[in-house]
Amino acid sequence: MTAPAPADVPILQTASSLVVLTADTYTSLRALPYGGGATALAPVRDLLVAAVDALDRARADLADATRAAGGRVQTEPDPRYAPVVEQALPTVRGPGDVVGLALTLEDVLAQTLVADVVDLSAPGVRRTVAGHAAASAQRKALLLTLQTLLSTGRAELAAVPPDLLALPPAAGTVGFPDVLFPTEKASPATEGAVR
Amino acid sequence: MRDRAMGDGAMGDGAMRPGLPRRRFLAGLGALAGTAALAACADTAPGAPAPSGTPAGPPPPTTTTAAAPAYTGEAALLALGAAVSGLAGDVLGQAAAGAGQGRYGAVPAVVSSFLSGAAAQHVAHAEAWNRLLAAGGRPEVSGSPLTAAPAVRERLDAALAPVDLLGLAADLTGTVAATVTALTGELTEAGAIALAAGVAPVAAMHGATAGFLLGRPPTAPADPTAGALGTDALTV
Repeated sequence: MTAPAPADVPILQTASSLVVLTADTYTSLRALPYGGGATALAPVRDLLVAAVDALDRARADLADATRAAGGRVQTEPDPRYAPVVEQALPTVRGPGDVVGLALTLEDVLAQTLVADVVDLSAPGVRRTVAGHAAASAQRKALLLTLQTLLSTGRAELAAVPPDLLALPPAAGTVGFPDVLFPTEKASPATEGAVR
Repeated sequence: MRDRAMGDGAMGDGAMRPGLPRRRFLAGLGALAGTAALAACADTAPGAPAPSGTPAGPPPPTTTTAAAPAYTGEAALLALGAAVSGLAGDVLGQAAAGAGQGRYGAVPAVVSSFLSGAAAQHVAHAEAWNRLLAAGGRPEVSGSPLTAAPAVRERLDAALAPVDLLGLAADLTGTVAATVTALTGELTEAGAIALAAGVAPVAAMHGATAGFLLGRPPTAPADPTAGALGTDALTV
């Protein structure tokens, strides 16, 4: 298998920094009553649990790839977005805010990983990162759907299983707004590089 | 709104990646507009005549032999992408049409819109894969020539209720996502990699939506390529 090249190192470090930030944010959100607590909506709670598990795997895979490319593993959160999250977390007041913050981070993460797939040199790492991009995109789809349902003011629509007859038709498509996954919000490869 | 303020501010517009990689990605997106070229799949088309001036060789064998595969190398990977996207587009489109005809009982509007919306995107993906094939001088994939196709169509024929359609959609889009994710590690041309990189997450989003409508908890498989089809699944 082709080993990752040194040029892949900043890409992998930046991806790691976004994964670290997103995972840490999900962990913080889970600690909130309406994130992972007793008053949390079931799909929101389930999403946070699954996301933390998946992001742990992403962190480990990216660390392995970084080492294989001869680089130092990035363990710090993304420096551009970490201050923004720090400012936003205390203002989270309900499930809509949980979904909104998670969606913002997940979109940046997914777009960055998709762009990384194109930029990385090693086929095996491309495939691994593509898998994590797909997982992030899945979370984005669910978050977009939940955001739409919560915006109706009827939180009961965000149920497991949902009442299909009560859901607005748009809930069936809002989770996949683009024919191809966009990359306009992808972080530059140097953004989270170890300095 | 707090999160909206974030989206409109520092987190809203990430910087575009400078230089070649960004252009490479756009080249992949160009496949949707029919503008991409793919040199790597420009190997000899099946049945192509020998170049003029080629010395006459021995007469062709008269015995029956197995037909050579229509697609090899990079072209086979593109054909696989076209076939699996085409299968999903066709089957989900048929499911949507059947739902509109009352074939599955009372189908909630949200299910119909999901089926129609996902089908349209898979069709667009198949067209994009085919444009890359055509740009390389290879024949486009027609239909869904896959060994897995008959079983998928039988499952659609056996569907009785909306939940059956959603279950089929979840599994089928999962196969597409896994297959195209695997392709990102096998393709070599930048435009083709970019197309795969953009398609796989969208297919995964279809699966996530189907899962939500079914009431399934969100999961991310440890191996995102589990269940991926290989080029040996092509029947052309």
